[in-house]
Parts: sequence; C-alpha cells; structure tokens
Amino acid sequence: MSSEVLRVSNLRKRFNDLLVIDSISFSIKSGEFFCILGPSGCGKTTLLRIIAGFEDYEGEVLLKGEKIKKPGPDRVLVFQDYALFPWRTVIGNVLFGIESKLQKREALKVAEEMLKLVGLEGFEKSYPHELSGGMKQRVALARALVCDPAILLMDEPLSALDAQTRMEMQAELVKIWQRTKKTIVYVTHSIEEAVFLADRILVLSKRPARAKALVEVKLERPRNRFDAKFTEISQKIYDLLKD
Amino acid sequence: MKLRIFYVSISVSIFLIFWETFYYFFIRDPFLLAPPSKVIPTFVKLITLQDPSFKMPVDIVFSLYHYALGFSSALIIGISLGLLMGFSRTLENLLSPIVELIRPIPPIAWIPISILLLKLTHTAAGFIIFIGSFFPILLNTRHGVASVEKKFVEVALTLGASRFEILRKVIIPASMPSIFTGIRVGSGVAWMCVVAAELFGVSAYGLGYQIEIARLYHAPEIVISYMVCIGLVGYALDNVYKFLASRFLRWRRGLVVE
Repeated sequence: MSSEVLRVSNLRKRFNDLLVIDSISFSIKSGEFFCILGPSGCGKTTLLRIIAGFEDYEGEVLLKGEKIKKPGPDRVLVFQDYALFPWRTVIGNVLFGIESKLQKREALKVAEEMLKLVGLEGFEKSYPHELSGGMKQRVALARALVCDPAILLMDEPLSALDAQTRMEMQAELVKIWQRTKKTIVYVTHSIEEAVFLADRILVLSKRPARAKALVEVKLERPRNRFDAKFTEISQKIYDLLKD
Repeated sequence: MKLRIFYVSISVSIFLIFWETFYYFFIRDPFLLAPPSKVIPTFVKLITLQDPSFKMPVDIVFSLYHYALGFSSALIIGISLGLLMGFSRTLENLLSPIVELIRPIPPIAWIPISILLLKLTHTAAGFIIFIGSFFPILLNTRHGVASVEKKFVEVALTLGASRFEILRKVIIPASMPSIFTGIRVGSGVAWMCVVAAELFGVSAYGLGYQIEIARLYHAPEIVISYMVCIGLVGYALDNVYKFLASRFLRWRRGLVVE
C-alpha cells in the first residue's frame, strides 16, 4: 500500500439536466481492492464509466496525476455481461488487447499463462457460447488482465451468476488479486460481496450519488462470512445505506 | 441424408408426372410446350455437346463470366461502401438519398441505357448484373455495421484498440452474418439479371441468349432445357455461398437456429 493511483475530486456528472453524481471525492492506493457500493440506479456504474474514460464529467479524475479523457488499456473495464466477442475463441478473446502490441509467440504465451491463472486451461479453442456464465467471466477477466492495466475496473461482474458460483468466483477473485497485485475498483450493490472483497468500501447514496462513508475493512483474508466481525461491518454498512 | 433423398425423389417424380399428364391432356402441341419425356433427353444431348447449334457448357461458361463481372464488382463496391456508410455518419447522410432514389429502379430498366453506353458487350451485361446485386449487398452490409452492439466497440476501446483495429477486428467480424445475407440475396438477383441481360444479344453465347434463340426456333424442349440449366446453376451458386457462410461463421453455430 504505497502510492496513490487514482484521485477523484469534486466529481459531478449530469445527463442533460439530471444530476447523477454530486461532488464525490476519493483516492485509491496502488494495489488496493476498492469497492463502490450503492443502491441500484444510484450512478455507481456511471462513476466507473467515467474512470474508464467513456463519459465526460465536471471536476477532476486523475490517473497517476494525469487527467482521464478517453478510454485506454491502462484502465480496463470488465463489463457486467462479459461482452466476449462471440466470433473469437477463448484464446482469441484473451489475445485481443495484446496481439498487435506483442510478437505472436510472446502474446500467445502471455495469454495462455493468464488462462491458467483464471483456471481455464484446455478451453482455449472453445467459443464463448459453449461456456457457462462463470467461465465467461473468467475469460473476460483474463482478457482484461493481459493488458496489464494500472487499474482493473469491474462493473458488477458476478451479478449474473447463481449464488454458489458467485461465492466461488469471489474467493477466486481474491486469490487472483493477491497473486497479480492489481489495483481493483469493483462496483457492486451487494453488501456481503463488498465486505468479502474490499480493503475499503465507498458507500454511495441514492441518486444523485454522494459519498456517504468510506469504510475500511480490516479483516484477514480469506474472510469468513459467518465471522462476528464480518457481520458487524455488514450491519454498519446496512445502517448507513438505510438512512 | 437417406430420408432427404427419399423426399426429393418423391417430390420430383410427382412434379414430372403432373407435367407429363398436363401436356398430353391440355397442350399436345410440340411447338408450344414439351413434356419431360422429351426435355430430359434433349437436356442430356445439349449438356454433352451433341447438338450442332446449341452448346450448353459453353453457354454456362459465358453466363458465369457475365455473372462474375457484375457480381464481383458489386461485392467489392457494395461491401466497402456499406462499411463506410455504416461507419461514418457523414457519408451515410450524403450517400443514402442517392441510394434510396436509384434503388427502386429495376435492373431491367437499365438495359437500354447500358446498351447505348456500352454497346452489345460483355461489360453491358456485367453492368446490369452489377446494378441488380449491388443494392442488396450494400444495404445488408450497412445494416450489419449499424447493428453492431455498442458494448463490443467499448470493450475494444478499453482494451486499447485503434479506430482501424475496431473496424477490422470488431465491426467487420460482427457484421459478417449480415454481409453474407447480402451476398446470398445479391447473388440470387445477379443470376436472374444474367438471363435478362443476355436476352438482348450482348454475345453469341450465354444461357439467357440461347433461351431466346430457341424460342425463335419454336423448340420448347430446348427452351425448357435451358431453363432447367439456369435453375441448376443458380442452385449450385447459392450452395457455394451457403457453404462459405457456414465456414466463415462457425462461431454462430449454437447461437442461432439453423
């Protein structure tokens, strides 16, 4: 936990006259697992899309001191519905971001290693429609990670999965995060998910989104959902969201 | 497969029997119509080059040549223009009024001007075929590009793709199914236009030309043989594109009802 990677100050966002985000400020440290938690429709996805560079905004959003203006591979966004290219195989999808930047053999090596990391060895030649939801999300994760982004942005990536797969993927994600030491900004509406994953949780209000609190989760990993402290923190966030 | 052959033979036999009886009961004039019992031997004779004046294989080659002239230029211009129009709003706005005005003019209506401009040449036939197949290819390509899902473009952007990479690696593959629809529809129209274009005698060979000559000879068995030939070649062409599509669009297996 050293330097600051991302700084957001006095961020505001309007769609025409509708104010969606109202002066939010926070900063994210390198290697941090940062969750953005808020009720549905509060503007948390918009906040993530701003960091990804897809939306204009008022205020300041700085990546390593530089203002974010457009999308780029230093902040890869993982979409909620995976958005895998259906015309590419698993390995083809993972190669997308690096095939024109690295030599073919090297790119293939990197992609294969990444597939191994997310546990998809042997599925290189499968097409996305042949995979389950959890596997698709792993491909999307591998495709983002090979670009070696400064920040990995994840927009409710596990919300389409069934409860059991979701829990498995959460544990898996923590492992991958620990191994790759990536900075992750993770949007979710599930309190439990946020407490399980995050170092710090930014709790947002209903629209227009305002920062309600910044909760630090100082629990050892792997975390136990049935631990008294886990429930205590969850309860605290639940109360924060309620009023 | 076996079942399919069974169905094909049943349906073809019923059709031939119906045709034969229809001829003997209602027509009975060899100058007006020919029954299958006469058409089939004639067809065999023509396709094996045993007729002194009608050389069917040569006609097939000439017709395919006209088809290739017109259809290949329609492919190149139609697909590239379709991609550009789908990609650039400005081009779309500039070109679509012209397209919408010219498109309703049937290809046959272009025959007089094409003969005046290009005389009775292969190019004149090619031009008619081009007009016929260009629009389905253009419109389907444009539609394909316009309906590429936004999320795919955004994924490409977030993974650091350039504008050109987005075109090559996202827009084109994503529009492939639609482009292939355009190719198949366009090819069908092109083949129909071959017959129309050749009727006017752009060359001394060609399926469309011979069908008209045979009419002047009052030889319906030859006319119908050529009709059969046109149908068979058209069917074969469509199957070529169907095969290519299944090859290129392998990723769609399991996504769509086949």
